[in-house]
Amino acid sequence: MTEQHEERHSAKAPRQIYLDYQATTPTDPRVVEAMAPFFVEHFGNPHSVQHGFGSYALAAVERARAQIAELIGAEPREIVFTSGATESNNLAIKGAARFHKARRPHLVTLTTEHKCVLESCRRMESEGVAVTYLPVRENGLVDMARLAEVVTERTALVSIMAANNEIGVIQPIAEIGALCRERGAYFHTDAAQAAGKIPIDVQAMSIDLLSISGHKLYGPMGVGALYVRRRPRVRLEPLFDGGGQERGLRSGTLPAPLCVGLGKACEIAGEEMAAEATRLTRLREKLREALVSRLPGVRINGDLAQRLPGNLNLSFENVDGGDLIDTMPGLAVSSGSACTSASVEPSYVLRALGLPAELAGASIRVGIGRFTSDDDIDAAIEQVTAAVSRLRSAGPRAAE
Amino acid sequence: MPKMVFIERNGTRKEVEAPLGLSVLEIAHRNNVDIEGACEGSLACSTCHVVVDNDWYAKLPDATEDEEDMLDLAFGLTRTSRLGCQLVITQELDGLTVALPGETRNMLLE
Repeated sequence: MTEQHEERHSAKAPRQIYLDYQATTPTDPRVVEAMAPFFVEHFGNPHSVQHGFGSYALAAVERARAQIAELIGAEPREIVFTSGATESNNLAIKGAARFHKARRPHLVTLTTEHKCVLESCRRMESEGVAVTYLPVRENGLVDMARLAEVVTERTALVSIMAANNEIGVIQPIAEIGALCRERGAYFHTDAAQAAGKIPIDVQAMSIDLLSISGHKLYGPMGVGALYVRRRPRVRLEPLFDGGGQERGLRSGTLPAPLCVGLGKACEIAGEEMAAEATRLTRLREKLREALVSRLPGVRINGDLAQRLPGNLNLSFENVDGGDLIDTMPGLAVSSGSACTSASVEPSYVLRALGLPAELAGASIRVGIGRFTSDDDIDAAIEQVTAAVSRLRSAGPRAAE
Repeated sequence: MPKMVFIERNGTRKEVEAPLGLSVLEIAHRNNVDIEGACEGSLACSTCHVVVDNDWYAKLPDATEDEEDMLDLAFGLTRTSRLGCQLVITQELDGLTVALPGETRNMLLE
Protein backbone atom coordinates (compact mmCIF):
# COMPACT_ATOMS: atom_id res chain seq x y z
CA MET A 1 0.00 0.00 0.00
CA THR A 2 1.44 3.40 -0.93
CA GLU A 3 1.64 6.20 1.61
CA GLN A 4 -0.70 8.31 -0.44
CA HIS A 5 -3.22 5.52 -0.66
CA GLU A 6 -3.05 4.94 3.06
CA GLU A 7 -3.52 8.60 3.77
CA ARG A 8 -6.51 8.92 1.49
CA HIS A 9 -8.27 6.20 3.40
CA SER A 10 -7.21 7.03 6.91
CA ALA A 11 -8.12 10.70 6.46
CA LYS A 12 -11.73 9.97 5.62
CA ALA A 13 -12.53 6.74 7.36
CA PRO A 14 -11.74 4.86 10.52
CA ARG A 15 -9.82 1.64 10.01
CA GLN A 16 -12.07 -0.68 8.06
CA ILE A 17 -13.82 -3.41 10.00
CA TYR A 18 -13.59 -6.69 8.12
CA LEU A 19 -17.01 -8.29 7.77
CA ASP A 20 -16.53 -10.39 4.65
CA TYR A 21 -15.56 -13.78 6.09
CA GLN A 22 -17.39 -15.71 3.35
CA ALA A 23 -15.06 -14.15 0.78
CA THR A 24 -11.93 -15.07 2.64
CA THR A 25 -10.63 -15.35 6.18
CA PRO A 26 -7.40 -14.01 7.58
CA THR A 27 -4.81 -16.74 8.05
CA ASP A 28 -4.72 -17.59 11.73
CA PRO A 29 -1.32 -16.65 13.21
CA ARG A 30 -1.06 -20.18 14.66
CA VAL A 31 -1.39 -21.51 11.12
CA VAL A 32 1.29 -19.18 9.79
CA GLU A 33 3.58 -20.28 12.59
CA ALA A 34 3.07 -23.94 11.71
CA MET A 35 3.75 -23.29 8.02
CA ALA A 36 6.80 -21.08 8.32
CA PRO A 37 9.51 -23.73 8.84
CA PHE A 38 8.45 -25.52 5.65
CA PHE A 39 9.37 -22.62 3.40
CA VAL A 40 13.04 -22.29 4.33
CA GLU A 41 14.32 -24.79 6.85
CA HIS A 42 12.32 -27.88 5.91
CA PHE A 43 11.98 -27.15 2.21
CA GLY A 44 12.17 -30.76 1.00
CA ASN A 45 9.99 -32.18 -1.73
CA PRO A 46 7.54 -34.49 0.06
CA HIS A 47 7.85 -36.96 -2.80
CA SER A 48 11.65 -37.22 -2.45
CA VAL A 49 11.50 -39.99 0.09
CA GLN A 50 15.08 -41.18 -0.34
CA HIS A 51 16.54 -38.51 1.89
CA GLY A 52 15.77 -36.73 5.12
CA PHE A 53 14.67 -33.46 3.55
CA GLY A 54 11.91 -35.21 1.63
CA SER A 55 10.82 -37.58 4.34
CA TYR A 56 10.56 -34.77 6.89
CA ALA A 57 8.26 -32.85 4.56
CA LEU A 58 6.31 -36.01 3.77
CA ALA A 59 5.73 -36.71 7.46
CA ALA A 60 4.37 -33.18 7.89
CA VAL A 61 2.10 -33.53 4.86
CA GLU A 62 0.75 -36.82 6.16
CA ARG A 63 0.11 -35.31 9.58
CA ALA A 64 -1.84 -32.55 7.85
CA ARG A 65 -3.82 -35.12 5.87
CA ALA A 66 -4.82 -36.78 9.14
CA GLN A 67 -5.87 -33.43 10.64
CA ILE A 68 -8.10 -32.71 7.65
CA ALA A 69 -9.60 -36.21 7.74
CA GLU A 70 -10.33 -35.88 11.45
CA LEU A 71 -12.41 -32.75 10.90
CA ILE A 72 -14.89 -34.59 8.65
CA GLY A 73 -14.75 -38.12 10.05
CA ALA A 74 -12.73 -39.53 7.15
CA GLU A 75 -9.62 -41.67 6.88
CA PRO A 76 -6.39 -39.85 6.02
CA ARG A 77 -6.03 -41.89 2.81
CA GLU A 78 -9.35 -40.48 1.60
CA ILE A 79 -8.00 -36.91 1.49
CA VAL A 80 -6.60 -35.60 -1.81
CA PHE A 81 -4.81 -32.25 -1.72
CA THR A 82 -5.78 -29.73 -4.40
CA SER A 83 -5.22 -26.04 -5.11
CA GLY A 84 -8.55 -25.06 -3.58
CA ALA A 85 -12.27 -25.69 -3.64
CA THR A 86 -12.59 -24.70 -7.30
CA GLU A 87 -10.23 -27.47 -8.30
CA SER A 88 -11.83 -29.91 -5.85
CA ASN A 89 -15.26 -29.21 -7.31
CA ASN A 90 -13.97 -29.56 -10.87
CA LEU A 91 -12.28 -32.86 -10.05
CA ALA A 92 -15.31 -34.29 -8.29
CA ILE A 93 -17.87 -33.31 -10.91
CA LYS A 94 -15.92 -33.80 -14.13
CA GLY A 95 -14.04 -36.78 -12.74
CA ALA A 96 -17.18 -38.67 -11.78
CA ALA A 97 -19.17 -37.63 -14.85
CA ARG A 98 -16.42 -38.75 -17.23
CA PHE A 99 -15.70 -42.04 -15.48
CA HIS A 100 -19.36 -43.07 -15.32
CA LYS A 101 -20.59 -41.49 -18.53
CA ALA A 102 -21.42 -44.76 -20.26
CA ARG A 103 -23.95 -45.97 -17.71
CA ARG A 104 -24.85 -42.84 -15.78
CA PRO A 105 -24.79 -39.86 -18.11
CA HIS A 106 -26.63 -37.47 -15.75
CA LEU A 107 -25.75 -34.91 -13.07
CA VAL A 108 -27.95 -33.08 -10.58
CA THR A 109 -27.16 -29.77 -8.90
CA LEU A 110 -28.88 -26.64 -7.56
CA THR A 111 -29.24 -23.28 -9.29
CA THR A 112 -27.73 -21.62 -6.18
CA GLU A 113 -24.42 -23.51 -6.30
CA HIS A 114 -21.09 -21.76 -6.61
CA LYS A 115 -20.10 -20.75 -10.13
CA CYS A 116 -17.36 -23.37 -10.32
CA VAL A 117 -19.91 -26.12 -9.74
CA LEU A 118 -22.36 -24.71 -12.27
CA GLU A 119 -19.64 -24.14 -14.85
CA SER A 120 -18.21 -27.64 -14.35
CA CYS A 121 -21.68 -29.05 -14.96
CA ARG A 122 -22.09 -26.89 -18.02
CA ARG A 123 -18.76 -28.18 -19.33
CA MET A 124 -20.03 -31.73 -18.94
CA GLU A 125 -23.16 -30.82 -20.91
CA SER A 126 -20.86 -29.97 -23.81
CA GLU A 127 -19.48 -33.51 -23.47
CA GLY A 128 -22.94 -35.04 -23.79
CA VAL A 129 -23.89 -35.39 -20.12
CA ALA A 130 -27.40 -34.30 -19.12
CA VAL A 131 -27.63 -31.91 -16.17
CA THR A 132 -30.63 -31.11 -13.99
CA TYR A 133 -30.33 -27.68 -12.35
CA LEU A 134 -32.87 -27.87 -9.55
CA PRO A 135 -34.45 -24.65 -8.24
CA VAL A 136 -34.53 -24.06 -4.48
CA ARG A 137 -37.35 -23.07 -2.17
CA GLU A 138 -37.88 -19.47 -1.12
CA ASN A 139 -35.68 -19.98 1.94
CA GLY A 140 -32.80 -21.22 -0.21
CA LEU A 141 -33.11 -24.86 0.82
CA VAL A 142 -33.41 -27.82 -1.53
CA ASP A 143 -36.84 -29.27 -2.17
CA MET A 144 -36.32 -32.91 -1.16
CA ALA A 145 -39.43 -34.14 -2.94
CA ARG A 146 -38.27 -32.65 -6.23
CA LEU A 147 -34.76 -33.98 -5.68
CA ALA A 148 -36.17 -37.47 -5.15
CA GLU A 149 -37.95 -37.16 -8.52
CA VAL A 150 -34.86 -36.31 -10.53
CA VAL A 151 -32.17 -38.61 -9.07
CA THR A 152 -32.34 -41.91 -10.92
CA GLU A 153 -30.25 -44.98 -11.66
CA ARG A 154 -28.85 -42.95 -14.58
CA THR A 155 -27.48 -40.23 -12.27
CA ALA A 156 -23.71 -40.36 -11.75
CA LEU A 157 -23.47 -37.60 -9.18
CA VAL A 158 -25.51 -35.12 -7.17
CA SER A 159 -23.60 -31.98 -6.22
CA ILE A 160 -25.22 -29.89 -3.49
CA MET A 161 -23.27 -27.49 -1.32
CA ALA A 162 -23.25 -27.92 2.45
CA ALA A 163 -23.57 -24.17 3.11
CA ASN A 164 -24.18 -21.39 0.63
CA ASN A 165 -21.51 -18.74 0.13
CA GLU A 166 -23.95 -15.84 -0.25
CA ILE A 167 -26.87 -16.58 2.03
CA GLY A 168 -25.22 -19.10 4.37
CA VAL A 169 -28.08 -21.59 4.32
CA ILE A 170 -27.21 -25.13 5.37
CA GLN A 171 -28.68 -27.86 3.17
CA PRO A 172 -30.04 -31.11 4.67
CA ILE A 173 -26.85 -32.98 3.82
CA ALA A 174 -27.63 -36.23 5.63
CA GLU A 175 -31.04 -36.54 3.91
CA ILE A 176 -29.52 -35.85 0.51
CA GLY A 177 -26.77 -38.37 1.19
CA ALA A 178 -29.26 -41.07 2.13
CA LEU A 179 -31.27 -40.46 -1.04
CA CYS A 180 -28.17 -40.66 -3.25
CA ARG A 181 -26.96 -43.82 -1.55
CA GLU A 182 -30.35 -45.43 -2.17
CA ARG A 183 -30.21 -44.54 -5.88
CA GLY A 184 -26.56 -45.50 -6.32
CA ALA A 185 -25.48 -41.98 -7.28
CA TYR A 186 -22.41 -40.33 -5.81
CA PHE A 187 -23.09 -37.45 -3.43
CA HIS A 188 -20.66 -34.57 -3.70
CA THR A 189 -20.89 -31.58 -1.39
CA ASP A 190 -18.99 -28.34 -1.73
CA ALA A 191 -18.15 -27.69 1.91
CA ALA A 192 -15.90 -24.69 1.32
CA GLN A 193 -18.10 -22.55 3.59
CA ALA A 194 -19.19 -25.30 5.95
CA ALA A 195 -16.04 -27.21 6.86
CA GLY A 196 -14.77 -26.14 10.23
CA LYS A 197 -17.90 -24.06 10.85
CA ILE A 198 -20.53 -26.77 11.37
CA PRO A 199 -20.09 -30.45 12.26
CA ILE A 200 -19.64 -32.69 9.22
CA ASP A 201 -19.33 -36.46 9.25
CA VAL A 202 -18.89 -38.14 5.89
CA GLN A 203 -20.07 -41.48 7.29
CA ALA A 204 -23.19 -40.32 9.09
CA MET A 205 -24.10 -38.06 6.15
CA SER A 206 -23.34 -40.61 3.40
CA ILE A 207 -21.02 -38.19 1.61
CA ASP A 208 -18.89 -39.64 -1.20
CA LEU A 209 -16.98 -36.52 -2.23
CA LEU A 210 -16.44 -33.30 -0.28
CA SER A 211 -14.57 -30.12 -1.20
CA ILE A 212 -12.61 -28.01 1.29
CA SER A 213 -10.91 -24.64 0.82
CA GLY A 214 -7.97 -23.48 2.94
CA HIS A 215 -8.63 -19.76 2.98
CA LYS A 216 -12.26 -20.08 4.06
CA LEU A 217 -11.26 -21.61 7.38
CA TYR A 218 -8.32 -19.47 8.44
CA GLY A 219 -5.80 -21.44 6.42
CA PRO A 220 -3.72 -20.23 3.47
CA MET A 221 -5.02 -19.42 0.00
CA GLY A 222 -3.97 -21.72 -2.81
CA VAL A 223 -4.66 -25.03 -1.12
CA GLY A 224 -7.73 -27.17 -0.63
CA ALA A 225 -8.73 -30.79 -0.42
CA LEU A 226 -11.15 -33.27 -1.88
CA TYR A 227 -12.44 -36.13 0.22
CA VAL A 228 -12.79 -39.22 -1.98
CA ARG A 229 -14.57 -42.17 -0.38
CA ARG A 230 -12.69 -45.48 -0.39
CA ARG A 231 -15.46 -47.85 0.77
CA PRO A 232 -17.33 -48.34 -1.47
CA ARG A 233 -14.66 -46.99 -3.77
CA VAL A 234 -15.44 -43.76 -5.58
CA ARG A 235 -13.82 -43.68 -9.02
CA LEU A 236 -12.90 -40.47 -10.80
CA GLU A 237 -11.11 -39.67 -14.00
CA PRO A 238 -8.26 -37.36 -12.99
CA LEU A 239 -7.98 -33.87 -14.45
CA PHE A 240 -4.16 -33.90 -14.52
CA ASP A 241 -1.72 -36.45 -15.86
CA GLY A 242 1.67 -36.71 -14.25
CA GLY A 243 3.55 -38.51 -11.56
CA GLY A 244 0.52 -40.22 -10.09
CA GLN A 245 0.60 -38.46 -6.73
CA GLU A 246 -2.48 -38.44 -4.49
CA ARG A 247 -3.63 -41.96 -5.46
CA GLY A 248 -3.28 -40.98 -9.09
CA LEU A 249 -6.15 -38.52 -8.71
CA ARG A 250 -4.07 -35.36 -8.60
CA SER A 251 -0.60 -35.44 -10.03
CA GLY A 252 1.83 -32.68 -9.13
CA THR A 253 4.22 -31.89 -6.30
CA LEU A 254 2.38 -31.15 -3.09
CA PRO A 255 3.01 -27.68 -1.65
CA ALA A 256 4.17 -28.88 1.77
CA PRO A 257 3.89 -25.51 3.59
CA LEU A 258 0.34 -25.01 2.32
CA CYS A 259 -0.65 -28.57 3.19
CA VAL A 260 0.71 -28.08 6.70
CA GLY A 261 -1.25 -24.84 6.98
CA LEU A 262 -4.50 -26.43 5.85
CA GLY A 263 -4.00 -29.26 8.33
CA LYS A 264 -3.36 -26.90 11.20
CA ALA A 265 -6.37 -24.78 10.22
CA CYS A 266 -8.58 -27.87 10.29
CA GLU A 267 -7.23 -28.91 13.67
CA ILE A 268 -7.94 -25.50 15.21
CA ALA A 269 -11.38 -25.32 13.60
CA GLY A 270 -12.29 -28.72 14.99
CA GLU A 271 -11.20 -27.82 18.50
CA GLU A 272 -12.88 -24.44 18.60
CA MET A 273 -15.96 -25.02 16.45
CA ALA A 274 -18.59 -25.43 19.16
CA ALA A 275 -17.59 -22.40 21.22
CA GLU A 276 -17.02 -20.30 18.12
CA ALA A 277 -20.41 -21.18 16.67
CA THR A 278 -22.11 -20.01 19.87
CA ARG A 279 -20.13 -16.78 19.89
CA LEU A 280 -20.74 -15.99 16.22
CA THR A 281 -24.44 -16.77 16.46
CA ARG A 282 -24.71 -14.32 19.35
CA LEU A 283 -22.90 -11.61 17.38
CA ARG A 284 -24.98 -12.18 14.28
CA GLU A 285 -28.24 -12.11 16.19
CA LYS A 286 -27.18 -8.92 17.92
CA LEU A 287 -26.56 -7.33 14.53
CA ARG A 288 -29.73 -8.66 12.98
CA GLU A 289 -31.99 -7.71 15.88
CA ALA A 290 -30.55 -4.21 16.06
CA LEU A 291 -30.96 -3.56 12.33
CA VAL A 292 -34.46 -5.01 12.12
CA SER A 293 -35.65 -3.00 15.13
CA ARG A 294 -34.03 0.27 14.04
CA LEU A 295 -34.82 0.18 10.33
CA PRO A 296 -38.08 -0.57 8.53
CA GLY A 297 -38.05 -2.55 5.30
CA VAL A 298 -35.24 -4.96 6.16
CA ARG A 299 -35.45 -8.44 4.72
CA ILE A 300 -33.30 -11.42 5.76
CA ASN A 301 -32.42 -13.52 2.71
CA GLY A 302 -32.29 -17.25 3.22
CA ASP A 303 -33.44 -19.46 6.05
CA LEU A 304 -32.44 -18.05 9.43
CA ALA A 305 -32.51 -21.29 11.42
CA GLN A 306 -30.59 -23.48 8.95
CA ARG A 307 -27.73 -21.06 8.55
CA LEU A 308 -24.01 -20.64 9.16
CA PRO A 309 -23.43 -18.87 12.47
CA GLY A 310 -21.32 -16.16 10.83
CA ASN A 311 -23.53 -15.20 7.89
CA LEU A 312 -26.18 -12.56 7.44
CA ASN A 313 -27.60 -11.51 4.08
CA LEU A 314 -29.91 -8.51 4.14
CA SER A 315 -31.95 -6.53 1.65
CA PHE A 316 -32.96 -2.95 2.43
CA GLU A 317 -36.00 -1.75 0.53
CA ASN A 318 -35.35 1.28 -1.67
CA VAL A 319 -31.60 1.13 -1.19
CA ASP A 320 -29.05 0.01 -3.76
CA GLY A 321 -26.54 -2.46 -2.34
CA GLY A 322 -23.62 -0.92 -4.22
CA ASP A 323 -24.55 2.57 -3.02
CA LEU A 324 -24.88 1.29 0.51
CA ILE A 325 -21.39 -0.18 0.48
CA ASP A 326 -19.98 3.07 -0.90
CA THR A 327 -21.71 4.94 1.92
CA MET A 328 -20.07 2.78 4.59
CA PRO A 329 -16.32 3.18 3.99
CA GLY A 330 -15.60 1.89 7.48
CA LEU A 331 -17.09 -1.53 6.79
CA ALA A 332 -15.65 -4.20 4.53
CA VAL A 333 -18.79 -6.06 3.46
CA SER A 334 -19.83 -7.28 0.06
CA SER A 335 -22.97 -6.68 -1.92
CA GLY A 336 -24.95 -9.78 -2.64
CA SER A 337 -24.24 -9.14 -6.25
CA ALA A 338 -22.00 -10.97 -8.61
CA CYS A 339 -19.76 -8.49 -10.33
CA THR A 340 -19.09 -9.33 -13.92
CA SER A 341 -16.40 -7.55 -15.85
CA ALA A 342 -18.75 -5.06 -17.44
CA SER A 343 -21.58 -4.58 -14.99
CA VAL A 344 -22.98 -5.39 -11.60
CA GLU A 345 -25.87 -7.76 -12.02
CA PRO A 346 -28.15 -8.83 -9.20
CA SER A 347 -27.04 -12.02 -7.50
CA TYR A 348 -28.27 -15.16 -9.26
CA VAL A 349 -28.52 -16.79 -5.85
CA LEU A 350 -30.92 -14.17 -4.53
CA ARG A 351 -32.88 -14.23 -7.78
CA ALA A 352 -33.22 -17.99 -7.35
CA LEU A 353 -34.98 -17.36 -4.03
CA GLY A 354 -37.56 -15.38 -5.98
CA LEU A 355 -36.32 -11.93 -5.01
CA PRO A 356 -37.16 -9.25 -7.57
CA ALA A 357 -34.13 -7.58 -9.15
CA GLU A 358 -34.48 -4.42 -7.08
CA LEU A 359 -34.43 -6.32 -3.78
CA ALA A 360 -31.66 -8.62 -4.94
CA GLY A 361 -29.68 -5.52 -5.83
CA ALA A 362 -30.47 -3.97 -2.46
CA SER A 363 -28.63 -6.60 -0.50
CA ILE A 364 -25.42 -6.87 1.45
CA ARG A 365 -23.65 -9.92 2.79
CA VAL A 366 -22.16 -9.60 6.26
CA GLY A 367 -19.62 -12.27 7.16
CA ILE A 368 -18.64 -12.54 10.81
CA GLY A 369 -15.70 -14.63 11.95
CA ARG A 370 -12.94 -15.53 14.37
CA PHE A 371 -11.50 -12.05 14.74
CA THR A 372 -14.80 -10.14 14.86
CA SER A 373 -15.42 -8.46 18.22
CA ASP A 374 -18.48 -7.06 19.97
CA ASP A 375 -17.11 -3.59 19.28
CA ASP A 376 -16.96 -4.39 15.57
CA ILE A 377 -20.62 -5.38 15.58
CA ASP A 378 -21.59 -2.26 17.56
CA ALA A 379 -19.80 -0.12 14.99
CA ALA A 380 -21.44 -2.01 12.13
CA ILE A 381 -24.88 -1.45 13.61
CA GLU A 382 -24.26 2.30 13.80
CA GLN A 383 -22.79 2.58 10.33
CA VAL A 384 -25.40 0.47 8.53
CA THR A 385 -28.25 2.26 10.27
CA ALA A 386 -26.84 5.69 9.44
CA ALA A 387 -26.06 4.79 5.83
CA VAL A 388 -29.46 3.25 5.08
CA SER A 389 -31.28 6.18 6.68
CA ARG A 390 -29.20 8.67 4.76
CA LEU A 391 -29.69 6.95 1.40
CA ARG A 392 -33.42 6.63 1.95
CA SER A 393 -33.85 10.27 2.94
CA ALA A 394 -31.79 11.36 -0.06
CA GLY A 395 -34.17 9.52 -2.36
CA PRO A 396 -33.64 6.71 -4.84
CA ARG A 397 -30.31 6.55 -6.63
CA ALA A 398 -29.13 9.69 -4.81
CA ALA A 399 -25.69 8.34 -4.19
CA GLU A 400 -24.88 7.92 -7.87
CA MET B 1 -14.03 -78.45 -16.69
CA PRO B 2 -15.18 -74.81 -16.62
CA LYS B 3 -14.21 -72.55 -19.45
CA MET B 4 -13.53 -68.86 -19.68
CA VAL B 5 -13.14 -66.32 -22.46
CA PHE B 6 -10.46 -63.69 -23.01
CA ILE B 7 -11.19 -60.91 -25.48
CA GLU B 8 -7.78 -59.91 -26.76
CA ARG B 9 -6.71 -56.44 -27.75
CA ASN B 10 -7.43 -57.07 -31.41
CA GLY B 11 -10.97 -58.18 -30.54
CA THR B 12 -10.35 -61.95 -30.87
CA ARG B 13 -12.36 -64.14 -28.49
CA LYS B 14 -10.22 -66.86 -27.03
CA GLU B 15 -12.06 -69.59 -25.14
CA VAL B 16 -9.85 -71.63 -22.85
CA GLU B 17 -10.13 -74.25 -20.13
CA ALA B 18 -10.42 -72.74 -16.66
CA PRO B 19 -9.46 -75.25 -13.94
CA LEU B 20 -11.15 -74.68 -10.59
CA GLY B 21 -8.96 -72.84 -8.11
CA LEU B 22 -6.72 -71.17 -10.67
CA SER B 23 -6.69 -67.41 -11.07
CA VAL B 24 -7.50 -65.61 -14.28
CA LEU B 25 -3.86 -64.52 -14.38
CA GLU B 26 -2.61 -68.10 -14.13
CA ILE B 27 -5.05 -69.24 -16.79
CA ALA B 28 -3.90 -66.42 -19.06
CA HIS B 29 -0.27 -67.46 -18.67
CA ARG B 30 -1.06 -71.12 -19.41
CA ASN B 31 -2.75 -70.08 -22.62
CA ASN B 32 -0.34 -67.45 -23.88
CA VAL B 33 -2.78 -64.61 -23.31
CA ASP B 34 -0.85 -61.35 -23.13
CA ILE B 35 -1.31 -60.31 -19.49
CA GLU B 36 1.82 -59.29 -17.65
CA GLY B 37 1.30 -59.93 -13.93
CA ALA B 38 4.62 -58.42 -12.90
CA CYS B 39 4.25 -59.05 -9.18
CA GLU B 40 3.00 -62.61 -9.70
CA GLY B 41 -0.21 -62.10 -7.82
CA SER B 42 1.09 -60.47 -4.66
CA LEU B 43 -1.11 -57.38 -5.04
CA ALA B 44 1.81 -55.07 -5.62
CA CYS B 45 1.02 -53.94 -9.15
CA SER B 46 -1.89 -53.56 -11.54
CA THR B 47 -0.39 -55.15 -14.64
CA CYS B 48 -2.91 -58.01 -14.67
CA HIS B 49 -5.78 -55.53 -15.02
CA VAL B 50 -8.73 -56.99 -16.94
CA VAL B 51 -12.09 -55.52 -17.84
CA VAL B 52 -14.85 -57.88 -16.83
CA ASP B 53 -17.94 -58.33 -18.95
CA ASN B 54 -20.85 -56.38 -17.45
CA ASP B 55 -23.03 -59.39 -16.79
CA TRP B 56 -20.21 -61.27 -15.12
CA TYR B 57 -18.99 -58.37 -13.04
CA ALA B 58 -21.93 -58.52 -10.63
CA LYS B 59 -21.33 -62.24 -10.03
CA LEU B 60 -17.78 -61.75 -8.76
CA PRO B 61 -16.93 -61.45 -5.09
CA ASP B 62 -16.21 -57.81 -4.18
CA ALA B 63 -12.68 -56.55 -4.55
CA THR B 64 -10.70 -56.15 -1.34
CA GLU B 65 -9.43 -52.75 -0.35
CA ASP B 66 -5.89 -53.75 -1.35
CA GLU B 67 -7.10 -54.72 -4.81
CA GLU B 68 -9.03 -51.44 -5.12
CA ASP B 69 -5.87 -49.55 -4.16
CA MET B 70 -3.96 -51.21 -6.98
CA LEU B 71 -6.84 -50.63 -9.39
CA ASP B 72 -6.63 -46.92 -8.56
CA LEU B 73 -3.31 -46.97 -10.35
CA ALA B 74 -4.37 -49.05 -13.36
CA PHE B 75 -4.22 -47.42 -16.75
CA GLY B 76 -7.55 -47.24 -18.57
CA LEU B 77 -9.54 -48.15 -15.49
CA THR B 78 -13.25 -48.83 -16.03
CA ARG B 79 -16.20 -49.47 -13.76
CA THR B 80 -15.86 -53.22 -14.26
CA SER B 81 -12.08 -53.42 -13.95
CA ARG B 82 -10.52 -56.13 -11.76
CA LEU B 83 -7.11 -57.63 -11.23
CA GLY B 84 -6.77 -61.02 -12.93
CA CYS B 85 -4.71 -62.43 -10.06
CA GLN B 86 -7.61 -61.94 -7.64
CA LEU B 87 -10.27 -63.70 -9.71
CA VAL B 88 -10.23 -67.38 -8.80
CA ILE B 89 -12.30 -69.77 -10.89
CA THR B 90 -15.23 -71.46 -9.19
CA GLN B 91 -18.04 -73.53 -10.70
CA GLU B 92 -20.23 -70.41 -10.70
CA LEU B 93 -17.70 -68.61 -12.90
CA ASP B 94 -17.90 -71.15 -15.72
CA GLY B 95 -18.06 -68.96 -18.84
CA LEU B 96 -16.44 -65.87 -17.26
CA THR B 97 -15.57 -63.33 -19.92
CA VAL B 98 -12.90 -60.68 -19.52
CA ALA B 99 -11.25 -58.29 -21.93
CA LEU B 100 -7.69 -57.07 -21.94
CA PRO B 101 -7.71 -53.32 -21.32
CA GLY B 102 -6.88 -50.98 -24.13
CA GLU B 103 -8.51 -51.18 -27.49
CA THR B 104 -11.17 -53.59 -26.33
CA ARG B 105 -12.30 -51.30 -23.52
CA ASN B 106 -15.33 -49.98 -25.30
CA MET B 107 -16.62 -53.34 -26.46
CA LEU B 108 -17.69 -54.15 -22.94
CA LEU B 109 -18.69 -50.74 -21.78
CA GLU B 110 -21.03 -49.59 -24.48
